[in-house]
Amino acid sequence: MSDWQNSPPAEDWTIDELMIARLAACFTDGDQACNGMASFVPVSAFWLARLTHAPDLVWLAGAVGLEPRPDRVPASTLEAPLWRDSIMYVEQYGDFWTIALNGRWLTKFCVGSAQLDRFGNGNNSIIGTDYHAPRVRLPGTAGLGDMGSIGKALYYWNPNHNPRSLVEQVDFISCAGYLGGGSERADAGLEGGPELVITNLCVMDFHPETRHMQVASLHPGVTFEQVQEATGFELPSPEGQLPTTTVPTVEQVRLIREVIDPDNMRRREFGG
Amino acid sequence: MSAEKLATLEDAAALVRDGDTVAIQNMATQAAPMALVRELIRQERKELGVVCLVGGIPVDWLAAAGAMNRLIGAAVSMEQFGLCQRYRKAVEAGVIRVEELSETALNARLGAGARNLPFLPTRGLIGTDLIDVNDNLVMLDDPFGGPSVVACKALVPDVALVHAHKADRFGNIGYEPTALWPDLGIMPKAATTVIVTVEEIVDSEVLRADPDRTVLPGFMVDAVVEAPFGAHPTSFYPRYGYDTAMHLEWIGATRDDEAVAGFMEKYVTGPADHAAYLEAAGGSERQTALETWEQT
Repeated sequence: MSDWQNSPPAEDWTIDELMIARLAACFTDGDQACNGMASFVPVSAFWLARLTHAPDLVWLAGAVGLEPRPDRVPASTLEAPLWRDSIMYVEQYGDFWTIALNGRWLTKFCVGSAQLDRFGNGNNSIIGTDYHAPRVRLPGTAGLGDMGSIGKALYYWNPNHNPRSLVEQVDFISCAGYLGGGSERADAGLEGGPELVITNLCVMDFHPETRHMQVASLHPGVTFEQVQEATGFELPSPEGQLPTTTVPTVEQVRLIREVIDPDNMRRREFGG
Repeated sequence: MSAEKLATLEDAAALVRDGDTVAIQNMATQAAPMALVRELIRQERKELGVVCLVGGIPVDWLAAAGAMNRLIGAAVSMEQFGLCQRYRKAVEAGVIRVEELSETALNARLGAGARNLPFLPTRGLIGTDLIDVNDNLVMLDDPFGGPSVVACKALVPDVALVHAHKADRFGNIGYEPTALWPDLGIMPKAATTVIVTVEEIVDSEVLRADPDRTVLPGFMVDAVVEAPFGAHPTSFYPRYGYDTAMHLEWIGATRDDEAVAGFMEKYVTGPADHAAYLEAAGGSERQTALETWEQT
């Protein structure tokens, strides 16, 4: 076990490492976590948490392999190099969705979404106004259409914070957030909901009553005005000084670069 | 004595008719019955409906060949190789109609089909816009007084296409240790006709040595075809990895129609049979490389 507790803040951290460390802090011992495809930031975060503050965090790699032992983050977060050395292969139809739907397990879920709106609704279905004649066909909801509706705490990650991905209202809801805001989600009988949005500029959470997205912390060197400029809807003005996002430690940076992801797969998510 | 199920690729694919709804095993870059998909394209099948959990390159090739006009599934993506551009273009042009389901909703539709139920419920999708655009999903009050659920109408595909590690000549299907996607757990059990390609035909005694690895009984299977590397260019753990070079070649080709036609001629419609395809795809040297699961 590395001496991660006494490690000083890193000076040469990069934005991917900051996002990974911030997401890792959301997962603790007693949690179970799973990842889907093209999920380098969540995979690295789960792994980092397990190497530091949460050694007993259970990881279901690719939603099929329990307690995997990859030697590094591979080019795919769904393919066998990630999960082949698991302690159990979890059958998708019978076992995985039973675990996810039960309510006791997998209570947190990380979501990557092409569009995300001010109330935390996600869209991976279509861009345009007509579902059957879309301007752009996106990949599809996959498991998000379930995870948004079954009581999970949702953690969105977005490596490319811009007005096209953070929008006033999604063109189509394929992952249920707080719907129209306020009590709408609860009124629909849904528990859980969006918790945090971690981007390359800031961390955002949701107002406890209006359920509107708001800035919780700014990454070092980023101003509120920059975040507003990169966001497709009006953010609530901060009351007083916004906190600065905690930067990763020297040890966290070392673990990410040398142990977890020496091939820099995580950088693939930061295309711009 | 059980009935023999051995068939040629040509005869097995001929069980699929124009207009059929065809469930295809696939997970992004994994485990797709590609030899059958290529044969369907060679036989110029039309107006197919494709059912898949996460469809990858087989969906893009069927779309490029004009063989499909609808998709029922949770996602279409080749993960690290990006979106399926020919499929996407066809959807945006209105040529392919999409019934997008969450994973539990697809499982529920197939599960109801497999068990001869009118529907099965899910708690997924509530609050999303996916329910309103789909006549096969209806909000339903819980008759016991709890929260509402989504009724997912039974889906019985005409055909399921599956790739597996081994089978005997009676169509009993054996799987080696690997990820257990729902394609085997439910798709073939819901479908009217089941066609399986396998890496190798083995003696029944081989299956009897590990009966817990027999995943489909012969009476459920209509045709079984020996097709080594039959999932190529998708991966088939533990036998071989996905073919990065061919995925990249395809992605490069999808940018213009002429390049797509060239690619299809080179790999799909040109080669006379599965063996000729494997030669065109790099032959035994390429296969040996893919068996190492290194980045190739």
